Parts: sequence; C-alpha cells; structure tokens
Amino acid sequence: MWLHTWFMALGHSSLGHAMQTSKWDFAVVEMVHLLALAILGGSVLIVDLRLMGLILKGESARAIGRDLSRLLIGSLTLMIISGIALLSEEAGKCYYSPAFRWKMALLATAVTFYFTLHRRALLQTDKGIPTPWCRVAAVVSLTLWLGVGIAGRAIGLL
Amino acid sequence: MPVLQHLCQVLYDSAFGTAIRESDYAFSIIESVHVLGITVLFGTIAILDLRMLGLVLRRISVTRVARTVFPITWTGFSIMFASGFLLFWSEAAKNYTNPAFRIKIVLLALAGLNPLIFHTSVYRRVQEWEVLEISPWRARAAAIASLTLWSGVIIAGRAIAYY
Repeated sequence: MWLHTWFMALGHSSLGHAMQTSKWDFAVVEMVHLLALAILGGSVLIVDLRLMGLILKGESARAIGRDLSRLLIGSLTLMIISGIALLSEEAGKCYYSPAFRWKMALLATAVTFYFTLHRRALLQTDKGIPTPWCRVAAVVSLTLWLGVGIAGRAIGLL
Repeated sequence: MPVLQHLCQVLYDSAFGTAIRESDYAFSIIESVHVLGITVLFGTIAILDLRMLGLVLRRISVTRVARTVFPITWTGFSIMFASGFLLFWSEAAKNYTNPAFRIKIVLLALAGLNPLIFHTSVYRRVQEWEVLEISPWRARAAAIASLTLWSGVIIAGRAIAYY
C-alpha cells in the first residue's frame, strides 16, 4: 500500500538513519516536541476556557482566538515537523501501532474541528456570553487535543 | 555519605518508592500526568510573558492577563510538583547523581526566584504600565528570563532519562 511505502521510505531516509543511530539527535527533537506541546496546550486551554465563558469575560473571544491562533498554528507546525523526525526513528513500528493510528485520527479531527466549527463558535461568541453550543464546542476541542496527547503518550508504552 | 544522598537512598529504598519503580504502569502514568502539569504551567505563564513582550493579547491589560492565568498556572504547578515528587521518590538515589536532574533543580529554583523578584520590583507599579502594548524593559527581561528558564527546566527534565 502506498502509505506503507511512504513510512518505509521515511524509516530508511538519512533523517531516519540519524534518528536511529544518534541518541542525542532523538533527544533534542523530543525536547523541541515537548516545548511546542506546552505552548500549544496553553493556547488551546486559554481559548477554550474563554469560549466556555470561564475567563476573560467581556473580552472579545474572536480577538483572543485570532491572537492565540498564531501561537497555536506556530507550535503545531513545530510539533508536526519534529513529529515527522520522531516518526522516522521507528516508522515501520508506528505504521502498525494502534496508538499511533488513533493519534493521527484524533489530530486530523482536532485540526479540522479547529478551523471549522470551533472558529465559527469563536466568531459567534465575540464579546458576549457563549451559547450552550459554543460551550460544547470548547469541551469537544479540549477533549480532542487531550486525546491527541494521550494517544501520543501511548505510542511509547503499547 | 552526604546527608542529602543518604536521604535520597532512604526514599529510594522505601516501600512506596519501590512500589512505583517496580509497578508496570505506575511510573509511566505519573510521568504522563507530570507532562500534563508542566504543559498547563508553562503554556499559561508563557502567554503572560508573551503579553508583556507585546506579542499577544496587546489589547488586554497585563494585570487582567496575569489575574486570568495565575490560578491556572498554579494548578499546573501543583500537578507538576506532586507528580514530580512521586517520580523522584521512586528514583531518588539515581537522580542524586544524575547531572541533568541537578541542572533541572537549579533551573527550577531560578524559575521560582524570577517571579519573586518581578513581583517585588517592577510589578508593584504595574498600574503605571499595565495598558501599554509593550511592557517596560524590566518586565520584558523578566518575561524572557521566565521563558528561558522554564524551557530549560523542560529540556533538563527530559534529559534525566538519558543519563
């Protein structure tokens, strides 16, 4: 299958080779992945707590969402790049790992949700009190991102 | 044997520390909670730091951002501290000689000292500058120190497993 071929090619690339043979290459990339995770987590948390109407009431949810989206997208990009490098260390194993498949499915869902319904909820709320649907969107967003993290952690354990 | 090392050995040998170390899942689960704690801590304090640097939320006053993030940051800190202590309990004797662990503790102390200095100096007159889009240089210096030190804590923390 073409996806499997891609994973194999990544594992056999020079990037994969470096990650498999050097302990510190892997460690440094892991550290970048963790730092970006903290920034991503913080932005998601603040935006979703605002969307739930729990913090920064009266401030524009639209403006907060737009402002922190730069942090969120920046750290997400860093996580994806460092994530590909981490993946290259054991691409063959990840391809068959249920935790890895869950993580990718949840990540795709979280990103899609963020750019569609979540965005609409932020625009709709703006300076007002969020509707129940907007609160649900915030809870769904937090759950999806947390799910990505938990599935990611499970890759190394299962 | 130095008294601190002796104390670490006592913790390491205790029934509880041994139980965490020898359990199949305990260490990994506590470690995951630890990462979640530091995500909440660093992710939220970074937003205040970036606000003072004038990079995000410029329209909201520094005090409003600070009052919003502090309870969340402290929650993250409590989770990180409690889970971190459990991890230390199970590995204390090994951590004592681990260079990454020692660096982490020093960075953690500095990261704790930074807000102490900040709150007793430039933040006391925050009313004068809270609405400025970019905070005065002393506040910006504290923000950069905070971002650097907490990043260092995370990096050194991850490195513990590599020694």
